[in-house]
Amino acid sequence: MKEPFVVASWPSVPVEIVRAAGFRAVFARGASAPTPTADQHLEPGVFPRRLRHLVEHALTGRLSDAARIVIPRTSDTDYKCFLYLREFVRSGVTSALPPVILFDLLQSGGAQIGGYDAARAHALLDALASASGRKPSADDLRQEIVRANGARSAARRLVVFRRIVPRVTGTELFPLLAAFWELEPERYVAAVNGAARAFAKRPALSGPRVLLTGVPVDGPELHQAIESHGAIVVAEIGPWGSGAAGDDVRVDDDPIRAVADKYRADAVGARTPAASLRRWTERMLDDVDAVVVSLPPEDAVFGWDYPALRDMLQARGMPHVCLRSDQDQALTPDEHARLEVMVSAASTLQEARHG
Amino acid sequence: MADKQLDTTTAASAFQKQWFADLRRRVFDERQPYALLQADVPFELFDLLEIPAVSNQWWASIIAAKRQAPQFLGAMDADGLHCGLCRYCSLGFASTRYAYAGEPPWGGLPTPRLLCARLTCDCIHRVFELWAEAFGAELFEIDHPGAGELPERWWELGRRQWRELVEPHRLAFLVSTLESLVERLEAISGRAFDRNALRDRLELVNQQEEVFDDVRQLIATAPECPVRMTEQITNVMATQWVRGSDWAIAHARAFRDEVQQRVDAGVAACPGERARLMWVGAGLWHDTGFYTAFESSHRAVFVWSMYLAFGPDGYIRYGLDDPMAALASRTASFNEYLHNPPWAAEWLVHQARAHRIDGALVLRPRSMKPAATGRLFIERALEDAGIPVLPIEADVVDGREWDADAARADVRSFLETRVLQ
Repeated sequence: MKEPFVVASWPSVPVEIVRAAGFRAVFARGASAPTPTADQHLEPGVFPRRLRHLVEHALTGRLSDAARIVIPRTSDTDYKCFLYLREFVRSGVTSALPPVILFDLLQSGGAQIGGYDAARAHALLDALASASGRKPSADDLRQEIVRANGARSAARRLVVFRRIVPRVTGTELFPLLAAFWELEPERYVAAVNGAARAFAKRPALSGPRVLLTGVPVDGPELHQAIESHGAIVVAEIGPWGSGAAGDDVRVDDDPIRAVADKYRADAVGARTPAASLRRWTERMLDDVDAVVVSLPPEDAVFGWDYPALRDMLQARGMPHVCLRSDQDQALTPDEHARLEVMVSAASTLQEARHG
Repeated sequence: MADKQLDTTTAASAFQKQWFADLRRRVFDERQPYALLQADVPFELFDLLEIPAVSNQWWASIIAAKRQAPQFLGAMDADGLHCGLCRYCSLGFASTRYAYAGEPPWGGLPTPRLLCARLTCDCIHRVFELWAEAFGAELFEIDHPGAGELPERWWELGRRQWRELVEPHRLAFLVSTLESLVERLEAISGRAFDRNALRDRLELVNQQEEVFDDVRQLIATAPECPVRMTEQITNVMATQWVRGSDWAIAHARAFRDEVQQRVDAGVAACPGERARLMWVGAGLWHDTGFYTAFESSHRAVFVWSMYLAFGPDGYIRYGLDDPMAALASRTASFNEYLHNPPWAAEWLVHQARAHRIDGALVLRPRSMKPAATGRLFIERALEDAGIPVLPIEADVVDGREWDADAARADVRSFLETRVLQ
């Protein structure tokens, strides 16, 4: 029998809660395939591809096997997607849709936020538990936290192979990091251990080390494009790559609060406080030679950070490129040419630094 | 731009200019604090603690109307802020951050003591953080929990059953956040907040919005529209930013009385009216002449915008035993009422029918991505209700790529082929 699963639109939905309720989590991702049905309902240039694909699948009956669809409030487009999905059902556009749940995780810094998020995490657990018929205890959730923390620890071991002296490309590593969200923790740890043994035997890679920032990517297409010029992507902002693991979730008397606190602080998305992303980026800059900023057409948020980032990079003498293409489409020849120039400049600086 | 038809419109414009001059004097000469707010923040709390407040959207509309926007927007572009980022909510920021680029209206904004924004759209946190940094001022954010339940006919529930309109956890969160805001404002002003005064103020706000309800009814039922949409907006918005104040209520009444006199005397904004139009979306502030451009040629008059209609439906709250909760319930879902399914489309169809609308022009905002959502639901609902729709692609403050002639030609064609057959 097929394992029961829920579909989530972004990895700010806690996998620990999903698993404690008895489900496997499947997350929406972008792709270059067309979305003709969704396009009839979603305004162009607003929704990222992952949401267009989620809606396409929803309206063409491909999510009918899911127990629930969970949409987090961690971006405005996700929230709007939730409202649209509800409206499709209400207005009869589709009937083959599982119930849609809003996980109202807030990420600003007010005094009320922690308690609110914990309550919403509790509500999510209750909603999923009622769908599965399982009634998870606090111990059940703590056990899922421990399992996921084991996988986080493994993911952090992977990251070591790309820091300082990289031994693996971003194109190769990104899917391994991203698998944290969907693989069972024990299988994930086994896969990571196998990969780590292989990576340890590899020689160091040459080429300038690149940080990929801007709008978080959910696939390795941009890594491939950047690395085709001889650079190595050694870090990327967002929950799918470098940020997949993050710090462990606390294991304490209030596991729901611990999960809510972790995701509020660590879930990178459009509503993550700018200062938090800025701190992360500054830390990363010490270990890279160049930066690629991806600001695809639907970006309404991360572009605001660009002037400050550009000024910081210029002050450090670090080359960078800003790309405006769709993250799931091929780069333009002009963008490839600019990448080539950036990689060349970074290589020269790298050689100068290393004598 | 067309001449003003109502005396109250002239008075409202003069009031705004004088109010801003007084604000500058109080800030510069008397060192009084003031605040910069997103339009959907509860201004009443600031006013009750004697902290004057300037609306970001109002300030942006003034900059655009004074034709100063292109300079500041050009400076934003030059600094690497790409063209897909919202210009409406950030034009005020640009006039501060890139002050060298242009000449802000009326001497420009003085430095506020506090900025405050509801985090409806994702970009608001970014814009206000940058703006606060540019001023060296404090920022208070009001987070925006998502609505999981959206009961039908919100505009009816909102008046007396407002607790049913907002889920309890959202309401409690917002009450708690507003209480924190009050604490902050008390510290800034050195004054104590008076809950009874809030109740009194909300009762006055109700009175003001009831007057606007009367005006709306006059416009909806008069044989011909008695007041242009642009003049409705000027009169309504001048009072909304100081809502519940003596001046606001007196002005609202004067406005209503003047509209009533025009109805009684059979005076129309566009005599011989043949088509009644609805504008869906924020105002086209850089080209307000657009709204009167079809009167002489086609006898087509803009009758409706959200600015007047939203006052009575969005603001009135009866049952003020817990005034902070009532205020929170009003604030909780502004964005959803105006943009998102099912609420926005349902309300707009209801309003279109009540106002005997013949055609709707729906803004397709170029850079305001969150405001662009829900648009297709709205367009479809209006068409399904038998109301022809013409989408208008434009930025409300950035007129640099606005082809005024082409847009007017599109409307003429729409009128001739779909509205006036």
